[in-house]
Amino acid sequence: MSSPDSAILISALNKHYGTYHALINVDLAVAHGQKVVICGPSGSGKSTLIRCINQLEQHDGGTIRVLGTAIDADTDDINRVRQDVGMVFQHFNLFPHMTILENCILAPMLVRKVSRSDAEATAMQYLEKVHIGDQASKYPGQLSGGQQQRAAIARSLSMQPRIMLFDEPTSALDPEMVSEVLEVMVSLAAEGMTMVCVTHEMGFARRVADRVVFMDRGEIVEDGSPESFFDNPRNERTAKFLSQVLKH
Amino acid sequence: MKSWSSRRARYALLQALYVASLATIILTFILLARIKLAQQGINSGFDFLWKSTGWEMTFALVPTSPSDPYWWVLLMGFLNTLLVGVLGLTLATALGIVIGTARISSNTALRIIGTVYVQLVRNVPLLVQVFFWYALITRLPSPKNAINIGGVFLSNRGLYVPRLNVEAWATLASAAIFAAMLLVCLWLSVFARAGWLHAKRQPLMAGSVASGLAIMTMLFVMGHQTGTPFVDEPVFRGLNFRGGSHIQPEFFTIVLAIAIFGGAYVGEIVRGGFLAVSPGQIEAARSLGLKTWHVFSRIQFPLAMRAMLPMLTNQYIWLIKATTLGIVVGFADLFMVIATAITQSGQTLEMLGILMGAFLLINITIATVSNRINSAIALKGHQARG
Repeated sequence: MSSPDSAILISALNKHYGTYHALINVDLAVAHGQKVVICGPSGSGKSTLIRCINQLEQHDGGTIRVLGTAIDADTDDINRVRQDVGMVFQHFNLFPHMTILENCILAPMLVRKVSRSDAEATAMQYLEKVHIGDQASKYPGQLSGGQQQRAAIARSLSMQPRIMLFDEPTSALDPEMVSEVLEVMVSLAAEGMTMVCVTHEMGFARRVADRVVFMDRGEIVEDGSPESFFDNPRNERTAKFLSQVLKH
Repeated sequence: MKSWSSRRARYALLQALYVASLATIILTFILLARIKLAQQGINSGFDFLWKSTGWEMTFALVPTSPSDPYWWVLLMGFLNTLLVGVLGLTLATALGIVIGTARISSNTALRIIGTVYVQLVRNVPLLVQVFFWYALITRLPSPKNAINIGGVFLSNRGLYVPRLNVEAWATLASAAIFAAMLLVCLWLSVFARAGWLHAKRQPLMAGSVASGLAIMTMLFVMGHQTGTPFVDEPVFRGLNFRGGSHIQPEFFTIVLAIAIFGGAYVGEIVRGGFLAVSPGQIEAARSLGLKTWHVFSRIQFPLAMRAMLPMLTNQYIWLIKATTLGIVVGFADLFMVIATAITQSGQTLEMLGILMGAFLLINITIATVSNRINSAIALKGHQARG
């Protein structure tokens, strides 16, 4: 598991917010091409963990290596790591003053220095892939929630990242739009993308995940295959969580 | 359809009746006033505009003389108001950006400086501030001991700055080119929202600035008064400065007061604008690997600008009206010129009408331009702001 060629290698990670201990000695290794689903009750530290991977949150103990580069608060080339690590947010966070296409070509042009025509061609390819090629010249506010989230996925993919992070990508969506976003994520997984996904979609976890990680109160409580996680949870906190989310 | 059109007709009739009765009332008042004034032997109307004034302006962009007619002097006053307004608003905006940024800085010292500035300036009446700056400026050292800041001399007679020895037409033409350059950049960044122009707006802007500056340089060289040095620097001779341009303390005071007072309010608007940008968008930009400068210039600033614009418009309109305070230090703005003209000619109502019309013209122009920009950059698919 913790081979040196892991896509993400986290060891003894700690994070405090003031006196609140948000992450406690978290160890996590994600191999290339692996799909990891992180779940857990709210406040368990799952978003904090995933946000540490691209340093939107800075950790205060332990080490994180992403694609072989050790990252910490002082890393100058965090932007180089971020180029290869796409992130999809709960609230989409599209740039509302730009069209969908402009959202997708901004970073490739500014960061990867791709020419406009090349960036547009790549972006259109990904927009087609998430089935909103016809919306490219619209603004985010003119799209439905599901379309916006798919546009956000296309925006991340346009940077051609090697790892994709998803932070509760379907939590802010109306129920009927959840599946169109999950559909895109499933096809992305099938193509071999390395994915770390914080989600409450247990069906998705069962279908796609290679591993399910369960967090509670800042700690990783359970880490195993979806089968063992859903059918034979070892920890009673896991069992309690599952009984609550799977009740309906 | 029939009921709809008849309702429309009924509404149109009601509106017409309303406007007609309002117009009748206003006309009646005007006619009554004219009759009463005529009975007192006062001539109403605007014929006086073509008479010469008989008095001199203390500050005018184009030299005036007492034989100039009223309309010319009023026009010069209007230009003075515009000049103070443009300079005051520009400086207030620049200062406001600095203060607003300091107020949201992560540096505690900067934040404290920003807060103290805003509290100090916002809580003292502008009128008092105008008097204060005037008192301060008129108590500066005499020209003999003037404070020299890189060739600019500051004394109790105002500011002496170097100027170019160029013909007036060259100066005017360069000013026009400069204004055109700004307009092209504004138009490209605000109204060219799609297509080829939008994609190429940055090189186009750079090109227009470069060619504008080149034309201005050419105009200066062509308009250079032969036999004089290119730059005319102020030199102290005898009792006062010779050469250069003289900026009188009254003008300096009112521009400074507007800039400093406006800076505090603009600073608060800038601060509010940046706080209105959702952190999610900034995080998304960072997560894509954008440099801090690009996050600022492509995401934070454009979004903050949209939140600021309606409030900035209000502030600009307010500051333009505040330029009339120039009268308390004797700056020859439109208000001052009108006040003098009233005493000299007795045409009170007409003069005040002109004054009000002039401010309406300036401020409605600001509001219209700002509204056009506002709707051009409004976030599509979101509720219109302001």
